[in-house]
Amino acid sequence: MKRGDVVLICLVIVAALAFFIPKWLIQNSSENNHNNTMTAEITVDGKLFKTVTLTEEEQMITVPTDHGTNILKVHNYGIEMIEADCPDQVCLSFGFVNRKGDTIVCLPHRVLVELKTDQAEESELDAVVS
Amino acid sequence: MRLSANDSSVSSSLKLRKTVIIAIFAAVAAVLGLVEAMLPTQMFMMIPGAKLGLANIMVLTCLCFLSWRDSLALVILKALIMTLIYGAFSAFLFSFLGALFSFIVMYGLIRVGRGRLSLIGISVMGGVAHNVGQLTAAYLVFQTTKIYYYLPALMLLGIVTGIFIGIAVKYVVASLSKLSLFEPFAPELQ
Repeated sequence: MKRGDVVLICLVIVAALAFFIPKWLIQNSSENNHNNTMTAEITVDGKLFKTVTLTEEEQMITVPTDHGTNILKVHNYGIEMIEADCPDQVCLSFGFVNRKGDTIVCLPHRVLVELKTDQAEESELDAVVS
Repeated sequence: MRLSANDSSVSSSLKLRKTVIIAIFAAVAAVLGLVEAMLPTQMFMMIPGAKLGLANIMVLTCLCFLSWRDSLALVILKALIMTLIYGAFSAFLFSFLGALFSFIVMYGLIRVGRGRLSLIGISVMGGVAHNVGQLTAAYLVFQTTKIYYYLPALMLLGIVTGIFIGIAVKYVVASLSKLSLFEPFAPELQ
């Protein structure tokens, strides 16, 4: 290891931390409206496929795409990818997600699941004040 | 090599050596990629899309011995072999874009940081660039910046794996330098 290496590694760590800070801010503000119902927006190839409300009861959602099929399972106010016939299976490793802003991505099938809260207006209030 | 050999046969022998080295490296890189896919790394790394980047060992080793053109050939060959094995081109397009970006960054750093960077620093940046390239490809598909949500975690993990990959390359380069096949290609970096 040379000094240049240490400088580069430090730069990467600083850049990563700079990315972390807005993430923390989003998470803190989302804890305030924790009681809101969450929805999951499922998009396939950029087009909205379905919006589901995350409930405690189990729901199975099958997402057929041109490239393959993904199966999502809603339970305990969260959502999880439980089956996919994509080659890399990265989407399964996202696990169970239940926080605002969380995502599940299946890149080979172009499937994107995004978690949002129902009352979007409330969080955007600050921006509208002026 | 025979001393009586004329220039053209010397250069053709060099070309043959290069071709053999690229072929061997591409085969090893493909096998490392397959082994990596079998390892349950996703289980304990807890970050989706996190990989060890074992194939990067071969790309960086190739960059040490051969020119950037030969190394680019290695990157493309490896992607082709993996596509043939898995039979899904669109899925590997993303990983290929990551590999390409990582290759460009590593080559740039070898040129720019001559003498100031060791293999460890270069492999760390290569690993980070791989993640950035892959996520950018995903961003182009999905058109949402939410994709970058996992980037910081991937970057920090990339530093750790990059350090180990760099150490591995150091040993590989040192061992391969002793082989007669690699004699004409003195490694630029140690």
